[in-house]
Amino acid sequence: MDTIIKIDRASRFYNVGDITVKALENISLEIKKGEFTSIMGPSGSGKSTLMNLIGCLDSPSDGNIYIDGQPTFNMDEEDLAYLRNNKVGFIFQQFNLLSKLTALENVITPLLYSDVKKKDRVILAKEALRKVGLEDRMYHRPNEMSGGQKQRVAIARAIVTNPSIILADEPTGALDSKTGKQIMEVFWHLHEEGRTIIVVTHDIELGNQCLRQIHIKDGHLVEDKK
Amino acid sequence: MIIENTKLAFKAMIGSKLRTLLSLLGIVIGVASVVTILTLGQSIQTNITKSISSAGPDLITFSPRSYSKSISMFTEKYASNIKALSPDIETVMAIDQGNSTIRVGQQNDSTTVYGVPSDYSNNLAMTFSSGEFFNLTQSITSRQVVVLGSNVATGLFPTGNAVGQNVMLYRGTQGKPYKVVGVVEDKDAIFSLNFNYSVFIPYSTYQSRFSKSSYVHSYIIKVTDQNNTLGVSNTVENYFNTKIGKDYFRIISPTTVAKMATSVTSTLSSFLAAIAAISLLVGGIGIMNIMLVSVSERTKEIGIRKALGAAPSVIRGQFICESLVITLIGGLIGVAIGLIASYAFSVSMGTTFVISTFSIILSMGFSMLIGLFFGWYPALKASKLDPIEALNYE
Repeated sequence: MDTIIKIDRASRFYNVGDITVKALENISLEIKKGEFTSIMGPSGSGKSTLMNLIGCLDSPSDGNIYIDGQPTFNMDEEDLAYLRNNKVGFIFQQFNLLSKLTALENVITPLLYSDVKKKDRVILAKEALRKVGLEDRMYHRPNEMSGGQKQRVAIARAIVTNPSIILADEPTGALDSKTGKQIMEVFWHLHEEGRTIIVVTHDIELGNQCLRQIHIKDGHLVEDKK
Repeated sequence: MIIENTKLAFKAMIGSKLRTLLSLLGIVIGVASVVTILTLGQSIQTNITKSISSAGPDLITFSPRSYSKSISMFTEKYASNIKALSPDIETVMAIDQGNSTIRVGQQNDSTTVYGVPSDYSNNLAMTFSSGEFFNLTQSITSRQVVVLGSNVATGLFPTGNAVGQNVMLYRGTQGKPYKVVGVVEDKDAIFSLNFNYSVFIPYSTYQSRFSKSSYVHSYIIKVTDQNNTLGVSNTVENYFNTKIGKDYFRIISPTTVAKMATSVTSTLSSFLAAIAAISLLVGGIGIMNIMLVSVSERTKEIGIRKALGAAPSVIRGQFICESLVITLIGGLIGVAIGLIASYAFSVSMGTTFVISTFSIILSMGFSMLIGLFFGWYPALKASKLDPIEALNYE
């Protein structure tokens, strides 16, 4: 299988006053295309920092990260944004939908920043909503939907640009266990379609449902279990 | 992207109606003031030009202020000396005038009597509702003939038929009969010369019957081409300045007055528009304030959009577009209010309403510039937000 994410001795340091905080230090790992991986670790372990680096929301202080073969080190904001739009689909714990927009408009949003032609945007967004079983709620706003429905809209939004990687940050954290299971089923479907899925969680039970588990502790990779 | 940004801008505006309305208000007031002032200025200028062109733009009135200093110069004969000052002068007419009582039977009225040459009516483009102006023969033979202004004729001869009738013109208590030879059609006044309330007799008759002296009240200089009015006016003015000094005469022409009035109006309206433009600037500060609040309130949204792939330049474009939409709408409302207000002012002042395209383009352009200028910083701030911090913003 092709490598979709390659992390090569990546570190991320933050300066807080005179102190340098090492959020991640010398991490190296590879994730292949189509893998269903979880990144686990307790709060403050550095897993969110790793997710931000993989998601091109941030770039490493040292080392390099390759997304689909492209190094992100020293990339400027414009290039990182382009990479995020084309290669990464985000799913957040609190859904992060735009409250004034309908489900359909929310799903269309990433397409506004892509090269997709205007007439194709609605078609693609409707198709993504159909995939997550929400075609009948597309004209509803987030405040008219349940938590599970909101997360499905977020998944539709994440997959609409057909990204190489789907990054889910505590995707079931704000949901009850039954809805959480349904969301995981959606992820399994996406995995079966051949998508690369990375779930970032502190929930061991959820993490263990994934086919590969990466454990982070104190900014270091402590376990990589397949 | 522009269409999407415009839609987003409208959504944001609708989302906070009152705040948008308040921030619009500054721009609306600013643009409305600029448009009103410049449109009114233009209307007034057009009206001045119009009234000047009907008042004879090729005429210059020259009158002495003090006879003691220059008494020898202001006689009918001196007219030829003035004419010789410039080849652009077509003719110089000596005029005399005074107040008199005019009577027909029991009807009497106060009027101004003008002693004028026979070519006066042609030179001032007078037309007649009946009869005609007195001719050269009547003029040089000092005949007691009179041409009545329209209101004088109506007052004395309510039933019409004034021509051929006799009227009495009084100098003090002494009255002399004058034969009416013509009645002037309604005509707009030229400065103090109000045709409708005046009567005209031959210059020589006026001298022998009224003034009993050879001194003129004023000269009317007609130039060959109205474009030369100002030049001739300056030539005559310079000549008399060196001859008798500037305090001893007054020279005035519709064209010079128009130029002065236009210049004053234009300076005044530019000055007022500049003051009004300050309110536009203040409106711009209001917009900047509202945009900064908007960026702050929508930090999370900016973070989400960035996570979804919006580049800094796209976020910047979105907020600048919002600022421009606010100023554009404010500008359009302002232009509409400005035009309505200036129309209302024009109607109440009785002047012709002229739409100043320049003022519309200027104020719209200026308000858009303000939108761009004051929207830039908040937009830049939004585009520079760290996506992770923005996403975690609560």
